[in-house]
Amino acid sequence: MRQAFHPRNFVDIQVRPTRLWTLSLSWVLFIAGVALYVQFSIARHRENPEDRVVPSLSQLVQGIKASVLEPAEEDEPIEVSAGLFWRLRHSMLFKDTIASARRFLIALALLVPAVLLGLHMAVFPFADVIFLRFVLFFDKIVALSLLPILFIVFGIEEWSKIMLMVIGVAPTLILDTNNIARSVPREQIVKAFTLKSTNADVAYRIVLKQMLPQIINSVRLNLKPLALFLFAGEMIASTDGLAYRIAIMRRHMGMDIILPYLLWVALLLFLMDGLLRFANRRLHPWFQPL
Amino acid sequence: MVSAALKPALLGPPVTAPQCTEIALRDVAVRYPVTRSAPKTVLSGIRLDIAAGEFVVVLGETGCGKSTLLRLILGQEFPSEGSVTVDGKPVTRIDSRCGYVPQKYSLFPDRTVLGNVMYGPENACSRVLGRLRPSYFRFRRSLKSEARTFLERMGLRAQDLDKYPHQLSGGMQQRVAIAQALMMHPPVLLMDEAFSALDPSTRAKLQELLHSLWLESRPTIVFVTHNTSEALLLGTRLILLGRHREEEASRSSIALDMEIPIARIPFARRKQSSEFHDLRERVKLLAYKSSSMNREEGSPDSQIKAVDPQ
Repeated sequence: MRQAFHPRNFVDIQVRPTRLWTLSLSWVLFIAGVALYVQFSIARHRENPEDRVVPSLSQLVQGIKASVLEPAEEDEPIEVSAGLFWRLRHSMLFKDTIASARRFLIALALLVPAVLLGLHMAVFPFADVIFLRFVLFFDKIVALSLLPILFIVFGIEEWSKIMLMVIGVAPTLILDTNNIARSVPREQIVKAFTLKSTNADVAYRIVLKQMLPQIINSVRLNLKPLALFLFAGEMIASTDGLAYRIAIMRRHMGMDIILPYLLWVALLLFLMDGLLRFANRRLHPWFQPL
Repeated sequence: MVSAALKPALLGPPVTAPQCTEIALRDVAVRYPVTRSAPKTVLSGIRLDIAAGEFVVVLGETGCGKSTLLRLILGQEFPSEGSVTVDGKPVTRIDSRCGYVPQKYSLFPDRTVLGNVMYGPENACSRVLGRLRPSYFRFRRSLKSEARTFLERMGLRAQDLDKYPHQLSGGMQQRVAIAQALMMHPPVLLMDEAFSALDPSTRAKLQELLHSLWLESRPTIVFVTHNTSEALLLGTRLILLGRHREEEASRSSIALDMEIPIARIPFARRKQSSEFHDLRERVKLLAYKSSSMNREEGSPDSQIKAVDPQ
């Protein structure tokens, strides 16, 4: 039975919070975080009104305005008479978001073969024999240590950053996909063969189709590592992108820009995660997560 | 194993060689490498001829190799010694001439009931490029209506046909699994403890259904179970497997191979007949004897339980 909140419920395993309590309590930590920040900022600004380490709310609003409506320092200034849409299109945040998103999405697309390799390793024994040991070894190489090699091979342009993301996440995704594909019950593969399936039918129409929701979950869990490698690449060698801007602003102590950028990145990843979860539910209504 | 002299006394004459052999196992042994020096023998000295249209029930305690025997016929496993042939051809890979109904995981979870049942015939009749032709859509429509009729005969309601397997009860799932296999009209149907996870009433309904389906089209059925009553109710022939004993490596794992005399009685009256109860007790006794002769440890009670006392 759903029960109202009581302090002893915190240590009760069998309790089920009411919908109202679920909604309210899930926001408590966000509100507490904001309140704590505001208190801390007020305290610092009382000592030094020009403090930039913990910007005040008005400083933050100014920072957000500058990010969303003003161009980056290195770009041409926007005319004063320009409309809101024009300003947004040529703003620092928009430019950086597009640059990072492009790298991120290209890397995601390049990870599709990793999924297929994991599937083939699970389904075709010879593919497993050839690749498994190599992938297991490759997985142990620290991807960031490859960055100098990537810069030498691909230059400091786009591809080194994209390849860093791909190389960083691909082995984990291959091994994860491999494990997921192996979890498809053997009985179903046998049954599929008795129902006149070919090898391709079993691989793509039985195993791949059944593991798609779990692959999407695996991609969801790998969004953060992917962003991590993107940030590492952008911070070291880039001329645009969200992490590049954060790195530049660090030099100027521009916390009023860094904080909105940080929250924007978190929001983007959160939305992407939500979108994938939504897509998973809609596309695979049969999927019963454990 | 039970001595040869004891068997007729308990159960009557053994099986004579069938006229038209559909499945043949010749001196089959199966060993698994447990340690490098001493592999574990699961089955040994299996010599078996199963005729077309027979309903063979394989009975035995857990771990005696019933499912292994089924997997050998299916082509999922291969014998360490001997040979297995289906319809005169050696089994070298999973054979689409055999229908297969396992105990669980038999349905594809990403397909609806109709999708599961239509999967096999669709595969059989068209490949990827064939699915782009207009004739494929006509074929699919007629297949759909055939599948609907068949599923409704199997006791599924129209509103269940668009459900996913997880939305069905265990009994319904097994009905669909049987329909999925039978839609292919396989000459051989292999069932591995297909009803063992079901409650007694659902199990009884499915037993009756399976029997009537068998009477209609007479596929060769090899049905693995550990339930003595189920074995005697359904089958025309009973094969009792005993646990392998390393000291008697040359001995066959088949403790008993007999025609079930009560198969002549109509199915509805079979369970009530005095012969059924009499035979069941005798098979249980034989199963116990074959089990106790293979075991040195364990109480007689636990040995009797080795074969389901139902």
